[in-house]
Amino acid sequence: MDTFIQYLTEQIDAGKAEIARLEEDGCRDDADFAKVRTNIYEVCRTVTNALANRPGAGPEAIKKQFENFRTIWGAALANAGKHDDARSIVIEEAKLKALADVTAHFPEAAK
Amino acid sequence: MTQENALKIFKSLADTSRLRIVQSLTKGEMYTELLAERLGITPSTVSFHMKKLEDAGLVISRKEQYYTVYSLNRDVLESSLFDVAAAAPEQIDEQQKREAEYRQKVIDSFFEYGKLKAIPVQRKKKLICYEVIAESFTPGKVYTEQELNDIIAQIHEDYCTIRRDMIGEGILRRDGSEYVRMK
Repeated sequence: MDTFIQYLTEQIDAGKAEIARLEEDGCRDDADFAKVRTNIYEVCRTVTNALANRPGAGPEAIKKQFENFRTIWGAALANAGKHDDARSIVIEEAKLKALADVTAHFPEAAK
Repeated sequence: MTQENALKIFKSLADTSRLRIVQSLTKGEMYTELLAERLGITPSTVSFHMKKLEDAGLVISRKEQYYTVYSLNRDVLESSLFDVAAAAPEQIDEQQKREAEYRQKVIDSFFEYGKLKAIPVQRKKKLICYEVIAESFTPGKVYTEQELNDIIAQIHEDYCTIRRDMIGEGILRRDGSEYVRMK
């Protein structure tokens, strides 16, 4: 699990660097979207840290929580698309993309 | 052009990604996916930026089969920076402007995609929300209770409270089992 948490920390650090670069480049909206993406790695790290060693929790509970996120954000994306809400579409897509990356790295780390 | 329009133009161009989009469009019309590929961003991000550019009147769009094709609005882009900077503010009463901004803030907080998220506790906010709901009814048209409930239920599940409140506030008038929008 330490490798997985290390991966999330690396993504958070990379995200922060990207935010700084975008802000410096004058891409304020893109920087905001990068903040959303980075925040997802932070949320996932918090969830992992909280559930990894909790009695009765562990990897399965973490996976379940990630799946909950996917369901909620997937529904939010569908809703935003239905209402042609351009800003929310980008935000929900960014969240789901970051989550997909997190879950793709989860199984091997959880072994 | 008003100062509000000028502000929208400056705000939308004060972003490198949008400036790059405008720069790409100087070469000709383009559609979302092509712009996304050229600029290395997602199509949804391009659409988001396009909406801002369109709101500022800098870009115009048209549908072509499955694609939305964007081009520059030369009328606006060819106006001189002097003219844009010299745009006068719209003649709106300051008090009216503040009230309109407050009203919009309440609507943005309590409504999402046409649904009322919660009935406000504060009367002033509640009235604003009920006025928005009232827009679903044609003034002067007579509605049965069922028709009225169906319309309100699409906006918020507690249609009974809303219906009662709207009558109490004089937004709706009840005549037996018939209802008419008053305001």
